[in-house]
Amino acid sequence: MPFTDVRPHEVKELLRQAPVVLVTDAKKVIEGIVNGGVAIFHDGSTYLLDLYSPESRSVQQSETETVITGPHDSFVESLTTNLSLIRRRIKSSHLKIIPCSVGEISKSKVYILYIQNIANPEHVEEMRKRVQRIETDGILDGSILTQYLEDSPNSVFPQFMITERPDVAASKLMSGRVLTIMENSPIVVSAPAAFFEFFASPDDYYQRWALGTALRMLRFMALLITVTFTAMYVSVTTFHYEMVPEALLRTLAESRSRVPFPPVYEALLLETMIELLREAGARLPTKIGQTIGIVGGIVIGQAAVQAGLTSNILIIAVATSAIASFVIPSYMMSASIRLIRFGLIILAGTWGNMGLVMGIALIIIHLSGLTSLKASYMIPLAPMKPSDWKDVFIRAPFSMLTKRPTQVKTPNSTRQTDKKQE
Amino acid sequence: MKEKLQPFHIAILVYTTQAGIVVFTLPRQLADYFGTNGWLFLLVCYLLSAGNIGLIALVYKLGGGRPIFEILEQSLPKLILYPVYVSLASVWLMFGCMIGKKYILLFQMISFPTTNPMFFKLAVDVLIYLLLAKGIYTISKAATLFFWMTIWMSLLLLWFFPSFRWERLTPFLLQGGHDQIKGGIELYSAYLGYELSILFFPYIDKRKKAMLAIQLGNTLLTLNYLSLSLICFGFFSWGQLKKLIYPLLDLLAYIQLPFIERLENLLYGFFLFLILITVVMYWWAAEVTVMRIFPRIKKKGLTITLITVSYCISFIPKTLDEVVSWITNLGYVTIGIAFGLPIVLILVLLIQRQGRESRA
Amino acid sequence: MRRMLAIVVVICLLAGCESDERILEQMALVQTSAYDLLENNKIRVLSSIPVIEPDSDVQRQLLTAENDSIKEARLIFSRETDLTVVSGQMRNTLFGISIAKAGLARYIDTLLRDPSIALGVKVTVVNGGAGELLSKNYKSHLDTGRYIDHLLEKEASVNSIPKATLYEFSRDYNDDGVDPVAPMVKDAGEKATIDGIALFNKDRYVMRIPARNGLIFALMKNNLKQGEIALNMGEVEGRKLVVMFSSLLSKRKVKVHHLEGERFSADIHVNVRGSILEYTGQEDLTDTDQRKKLEEDIAAHVTARAEKMIQDMQRNKVDSLGIGQYVRNSLSYKRWKATEWKDVYPRVKINCRVKVKIKDYGKYI
Repeated sequence: MPFTDVRPHEVKELLRQAPVVLVTDAKKVIEGIVNGGVAIFHDGSTYLLDLYSPESRSVQQSETETVITGPHDSFVESLTTNLSLIRRRIKSSHLKIIPCSVGEISKSKVYILYIQNIANPEHVEEMRKRVQRIETDGILDGSILTQYLEDSPNSVFPQFMITERPDVAASKLMSGRVLTIMENSPIVVSAPAAFFEFFASPDDYYQRWALGTALRMLRFMALLITVTFTAMYVSVTTFHYEMVPEALLRTLAESRSRVPFPPVYEALLLETMIELLREAGARLPTKIGQTIGIVGGIVIGQAAVQAGLTSNILIIAVATSAIASFVIPSYMMSASIRLIRFGLIILAGTWGNMGLVMGIALIIIHLSGLTSLKASYMIPLAPMKPSDWKDVFIRAPFSMLTKRPTQVKTPNSTRQTDKKQE
Repeated sequence: MKEKLQPFHIAILVYTTQAGIVVFTLPRQLADYFGTNGWLFLLVCYLLSAGNIGLIALVYKLGGGRPIFEILEQSLPKLILYPVYVSLASVWLMFGCMIGKKYILLFQMISFPTTNPMFFKLAVDVLIYLLLAKGIYTISKAATLFFWMTIWMSLLLLWFFPSFRWERLTPFLLQGGHDQIKGGIELYSAYLGYELSILFFPYIDKRKKAMLAIQLGNTLLTLNYLSLSLICFGFFSWGQLKKLIYPLLDLLAYIQLPFIERLENLLYGFFLFLILITVVMYWWAAEVTVMRIFPRIKKKGLTITLITVSYCISFIPKTLDEVVSWITNLGYVTIGIAFGLPIVLILVLLIQRQGRESRA
Repeated sequence: MRRMLAIVVVICLLAGCESDERILEQMALVQTSAYDLLENNKIRVLSSIPVIEPDSDVQRQLLTAENDSIKEARLIFSRETDLTVVSGQMRNTLFGISIAKAGLARYIDTLLRDPSIALGVKVTVVNGGAGELLSKNYKSHLDTGRYIDHLLEKEASVNSIPKATLYEFSRDYNDDGVDPVAPMVKDAGEKATIDGIALFNKDRYVMRIPARNGLIFALMKNNLKQGEIALNMGEVEGRKLVVMFSSLLSKRKVKVHHLEGERFSADIHVNVRGSILEYTGQEDLTDTDQRKKLEEDIAAHVTARAEKMIQDMQRNKVDSLGIGQYVRNSLSYKRWKATEWKDVYPRVKINCRVKVKIKDYGKYI
């Protein structure tokens, strides 16, 4: 039907339709149907109608990054939905998108998002280059994409932040970071990231600042505990008996007295058991996972002590450091730190405190050499930026958080004007 | 983009390079060589080192921030300079290496008395290699992190306040000491480390007050030494302090917390952080100097060679006393370098300036 | 990077030296050691080691050796036990009166030389045999060593005995203006008891201050933040007048005056504040004047007792209060070096100036 013959009230009707194509080739018709199209046979001619709208998961609560208060939506596997979730939060014309694609075969769409005038152009350019440099057959998820993009892919530590939460993504954008999102993946990559960024949770901001600060400190304490507690136990009981205070001496020695192995093996045994439990819990359906937790935690733990395979003080140490490791909000970071712990336990078991300290020195030397999008990873401790501390080690009231983090070297560092100066 | 050292990092780097193994014996040496109120001698050391840093700053100013090797090579033939470079590098290499060895031997007094010390030395050297391989900017970042991990220990001095008595300090100034020249030089080696800042010139951000930062690092170190020594003189009696070989270890061992005791077992390890930076900076200096002779040599290969050589040298002295005498002797030479090098450079620069003026 | 890490770990595994392991439960952790001098000039060392067996009835085992040196004893001990004998958990050293009279310096030196022994180990004198006291079993306490240790700690916290560890002992021993002190304990049948304060001339035990004068001694020596003393102030109308003076806070100051002919006088100013817990006298404490009077009485009483104690000390040439430090600090270095303090000390005129302030007097008139 020629467009000139269409009456005005029919225009709306016509435009609402998906494009209708007249097809003459039978193969094309089949192909069209396979791809989700509808074929209409009418008067001897065939029309192909594209009605493809893939089913995707609806926007749900994030499983890995939960908060107590604040928004509960999370990204899904659809790129357009994810974009709309971000757009909904940042209604600015400065929010720019660079479309790219990765994968020779998969040809997945990858968008680089940033806010003009806030993000550092060098970072945007660097990110674009890195995405374009990827040469592989296909990348299936954002978390795989990160590993292609990072500065040192061999490091244990994640150098880019990944998140499933649109509110986190929006806040990263506004602090000047560059986001990379990928189709068919709910994972958004934010870069550059700093080591201490992995210890912040959106909850810190949704709760009042005093509470947020306390939570931050709790997490850094958790880091200390999870890295050193079991290793300290091993080193003290194996080499440095002097360090035990008199009040603890009898308890500690008695609990050790029935254990047939040296403390290193005892600790490694128990740490492995905890990791087994965690992995089993992660792979099993939620309901069975809970049962596993109970069986492993209570039954095996209790039995191991009674059988004299481990000391109960060590059970406390290992359990505390396991719990402490789960306090770290980023799953990637907490997994890395749990891995490091094994190294430290072995070092502590061979060289005692000196081994422990050497292990820590090794970690620090490694960390200080890391970069994220060529920006220093250990900022704001090294290089030292005390002005950033109030949003890293504590969570100061919003009236004080007037500047964007120095790591991004943003051209526009003022987040809000300082009321006191006016 | 090559990142430059910021003033704060220069201060920290200088501080962490200076703070080293001498701190364990420092209060006893002060009491032994300089007698009552020996801590006052620290002020003399401070003035001397500050003056020396002033000389370095003068070199920086006269030379317009040019690297010292450039300045030297402009006026002196390479035939003279290369042996000088070699000796500089070897002194620095060995000094760093002996500091590392002394740390290990001292540690073995507390625990692991029968393990071969060279195993520990090897592990420490591997750590140092990892740092050295990454260049000065990463070293300065690591130094900053190590600084934060050790500086809090100064707060432990508060523990000794209740037992501190001014009466024990006595009103006598520097009485009852002996061998003060020898002791003075030994003590001054506690301040060594700042002289390496003469090699920082190419890495300094020219707009910032880098020379002031070096002074600040030195001042921080002095304040630290002063507070430690003052506490030692008021906590221990003078006669007792002279008998404690490692007063710092005794101090740390005296602290009892409800959940942990005998902190020297753990905190001695923390001093590894400071030792690492001290050694790494001396070796870095040696490396930079050798690089000047063979500019086209591969950096990684050179680093490994230097570390291997120094590791082999560290096999020679076996006992703590031997290491201490090596350190003392190398300390004399290093002090000579600390003062000599800037003075030579200033002379060279003045001659160059005169030459330029007469030509003009 | 990765390769280096692997190398480090491998090295550590290779070097993990069994011989340097000190696994907690495989150690015989000496808790208390007692030293006695025997008649043949040998030393008897008795060490108490906690038995760490959850099902065991005994809490400790005792090891003993007769020997020439106190470290040699450890070698003998290790022949008698399946555990490695170590001294890093030592809390207390008991010296019998015999060894204390002969001088403690070389034993203290030996203890200090051992890097596994810290400065916090207590030094205690036993009035009698140290070994006998430690080997005795008291009914209500399973571990005598720990019992004595806790007893000393608690008493030192209320200042009735001075705190004496290796640190304090060697500090005062090596100081030329003060002599070391140590608490003294003795066996009292059913219990062990604090017997007073042992005063040393240099490192030799010379005299004892009875336990009831412990706090007076402390008042003269230190600033106190805690303390309690019962003052027996004679009789009033046939009844004993007892004042229990508690929660003491005191400040002590020493002033030295130079007299003619190489003589000195020293004033010890002590300001005490505290509460009255018990008062058996007739005066009405609510009345300000009468309270003032009581304050003065207490001050006079304390002064009298303190001056008598100091005279005793001067007669024995022990300067446990550290008057020498103040005299030294008032002289020039040369003059102090020329002064033979131990000879001058008995002739120093020491005055006590005690001021007492009653903070409160309880909740009942």
